[in-house]
Amino acid sequence: MARSAASERGGPRERDNSRPDEVPSGKEQADSSPAALAIEGVSKRFGDGDDSVLAVDNVSLTVERGSIVGLLGPNGAGKTTLIKCALGIVLPDAGSVRVFGTDIGDDHRAAYANVDAMLEGARNDYWRLTVRENLRYFTTIAGVDPDSVRARHDRLLDRLDLAEKADTPVRELSRGMKQKVSLASVLAGGAELVFLDEPTLGLDVESSRTLRRELRRLAREEGLTIVLSSHDMGVIEDVCDRVVMMANGQIVADDTVTALLSGTDRDGIRVVSADIDEAVVATLRERFDVRGVETGLGAGERDGSGSAAVEVAAAGDGLYDLMDALREAGVTVEDVQTVRPELEDVFVDLTGMEGGTDPRGRSP
Amino acid sequence: MSRGDSAASDGGSHPASATTEPADEPRPATYYHLARAVLYREYLIFVRYPANAIGGIVVALFFFGVLFYGGRLLAGQALTDSISGIIVGYFLWTLSVGAYSSVSSDIGSEVQWGTLERHITTPFGFAPVALLKGVAKVIRTFLTSAVVLAVMLLLTGTRLSLDPITVVPVAGLAITSVLGLGFAAGGVTVLYKRIGNWLNLLQFGFIALISAPVLDAPWTRFLPLAHGSAMLQRAMVDGVRLWEFGLADLALLVAVAVGYLLGGYVVFHYATRRARRLGVLGDY
Repeated sequence: MARSAASERGGPRERDNSRPDEVPSGKEQADSSPAALAIEGVSKRFGDGDDSVLAVDNVSLTVERGSIVGLLGPNGAGKTTLIKCALGIVLPDAGSVRVFGTDIGDDHRAAYANVDAMLEGARNDYWRLTVRENLRYFTTIAGVDPDSVRARHDRLLDRLDLAEKADTPVRELSRGMKQKVSLASVLAGGAELVFLDEPTLGLDVESSRTLRRELRRLAREEGLTIVLSSHDMGVIEDVCDRVVMMANGQIVADDTVTALLSGTDRDGIRVVSADIDEAVVATLRERFDVRGVETGLGAGERDGSGSAAVEVAAAGDGLYDLMDALREAGVTVEDVQTVRPELEDVFVDLTGMEGGTDPRGRSP
Repeated sequence: MSRGDSAASDGGSHPASATTEPADEPRPATYYHLARAVLYREYLIFVRYPANAIGGIVVALFFFGVLFYGGRLLAGQALTDSISGIIVGYFLWTLSVGAYSSVSSDIGSEVQWGTLERHITTPFGFAPVALLKGVAKVIRTFLTSAVVLAVMLLLTGTRLSLDPITVVPVAGLAITSVLGLGFAAGGVTVLYKRIGNWLNLLQFGFIALISAPVLDAPWTRFLPLAHGSAMLQRAMVDGVRLWEFGLADLALLVAVAVGYLLGGYVVFHYATRRARRLGVLGDY
């Protein structure tokens, strides 16, 4: 079933060369089997009286099998509380959570037979055990005999570049390695639905790349369903089929990355030319929405005699209109770039807040 | 559907994996596998980090040395006459402290490590894991307390009846009630994090329970440790064998052990449930 969901999207996806959101969103998938996760009207308030905080406000969300859903939101938006409600670690005040069709309130054990979570990053394992011992332990408590999945463990260690450290106590590893051990132990039991809270936090560029590659592979080849929460928009954009943005305990957007980006009016064109002066800018302002002007570019950067760049809001045919205007003004264009909105721009538009610790931190 | 089923079908239906990599045939883990995993983990930590156990033995022997030599200076022959009872009581106290603090502080550590939450979202849940850990702690405590007992006997030149068929069940059931207190304390620690250190002071209350006057005040037999302590004294000092105890004594020993263990488990269960309601389960 998980595999059928993957195959419906047209088989293996090469995410390195194509945007992850070019596949249908979870909502669009037709699948007769129950969704991996179905959250219905969940609310959670912490505290009483005037000091109480409504962390999650009547949220409903469905995650189809085999999809990777990114949860985005500023601090305090309710992401972690929502994930913990889905996991039963926090009991909601209202609403229901179904995992692979089983209500967690009806049959807690059956519901979590195929679920695992990485909530604390590097703080998610037994540091005094070795990497392999952790994998075996967490496989067992996940309901799988570890002797029967040795090959899987070897593959995981290999793919996450942990094979050489397999017999090293976790406490002796770097933070990034610990983070990868956490992920490996979450995946070790073969759960079909995993929740990952900030999985790339603390990872170096290469480790982050390895982890993203592995997440994509797991979703593509093994039909793994992933709910991923991160402040790193690069990770969300790179890995997720679908993005759910939260603010003030509510979902403010739920769509593919492409749809979210195309729904903005942030597309623009940036033109560089030595002929751009105040008069040209004034002319452009009469006909276009000029977003910004930079002067003193290029060879004349130091003495201020260089080229200038102007960015205008324009998309589609707007390019031709801009070129016509520039030709009429006698401007010889040195460089033209389309300016695409980033997920962070959409995020700021929808939530009115900055993304987080390093919203533009895009590691490859 | 279990993970095992799913993973097995994945392995069979995915040609790329089947041809290039060894296929898994996941089998479901039973309570046997769970017990093996939990006990093996405790064993690994015990042998890999022996400093805690050795430190516990040294501290226990130091306090006994102070008690024995100091008491002999102050009380002279009176202490020597009652040394057998003191050794048995001290042996039971080290067992009790070991079982109680290891369980209660272990639950606190799981919260601190972020691993308690992971156990909640497994098909087994945390309760059987906690119980099995309790068993492992009791076994470990028996090993360390046996060393303390041996040194105490050598140091004082005392002879006691050490029939394991009697001593292990009686002492084991006696400290099972303390295990229950450890679970309750662990549960309260999950709910109110900072109270954990204060709850460790309870272990000094075990001295009163071990020396409770069960003959003069029979109701004290229903308290943790008290009845078991009296039976252990008879077993080790007077040489009474397990089958020589009255059925009522044995039944009460079992009832107190099971009762406090269940009571402690219920407190732990409701404390963690309340922590989930308040959203503080993983806070530290």
